[in-house]
Amino acid sequence: MSEVTRKNAGVVPATDIFEMKDGFHIMVDLPGVKSEDLVVDIEESELSISGSSSYAPADNNLRKMHTEFGNNVYQRRFTLSELVDKEKVEAVLRDGVLQLYLPKAEAMKPRRIEIS
Amino acid sequence: MVIDFSSIYDTNNDLERFFDEMFRTSAFNLRRSVYPPLNVFESDDGYIVDVCIPGIDPNDIELTITARNLIVKGERKLMEGRYFRQERGAGSFQRVLSLNVPVDRDKVTAKSENGILRVTLPKAEAERQRKISITS
Repeated sequence: MSEVTRKNAGVVPATDIFEMKDGFHIMVDLPGVKSEDLVVDIEESELSISGSSSYAPADNNLRKMHTEFGNNVYQRRFTLSELVDKEKVEAVLRDGVLQLYLPKAEAMKPRRIEIS
Repeated sequence: MVIDFSSIYDTNNDLERFFDEMFRTSAFNLRRSVYPPLNVFESDDGYIVDVCIPGIDPNDIELTITARNLIVKGERKLMEGRYFRQERGAGSFQRVLSLNVPVDRDKVTAKSENGILRVTLPKAEAERQRKISITS
């Protein structure tokens, strides 16, 4: 593991990747992350997600009785397929889940070749 | 890595990433046995329960309150498709939280923000602390 990776180490968020007729979808669980604290970058064929959650108790004077979750720095990278049209990737953050839509590139759609 | 259909020359530190992610992944975290995770706070007036349930429409969460229990019930639905990776939990869940003091059921409120549900449960009037003035 390189030094750079270790320095950036955060939590790897749980992710679903699935294909539908219209293209690929990636769903990333990012509870407590606000859209302004989330960065999604595409660099060449690398898609990187990083975000930090800003969950806070309703009031700091409250007595903690039981704690099972807290704040995290989430980080994850994916290598995009050549099938994906990188220009048309869409991202929506809703109810603490990042939904990425990666449409298939037009040129990559299956095509029958006529035999003459 | 599963979605990686790029050319085989484009190795891109895959092995390094594999180990790196394996040790950081939430599946490695053994505290995952109960779902959903929740935090409980107490104040003089009542309790606040924060439930971490990303990706669930607040309308699909069933909150039931009895005299001493709070029950959170719901379902995480999977989208139809061909899955390459499926790490997010799916299916029905239920969690029961016992409160050691009766709560005012009519005044319980809940709101959801960024995948975290916050339930505010005021203590029943009779259970609140009261200062008693001493007369001499």
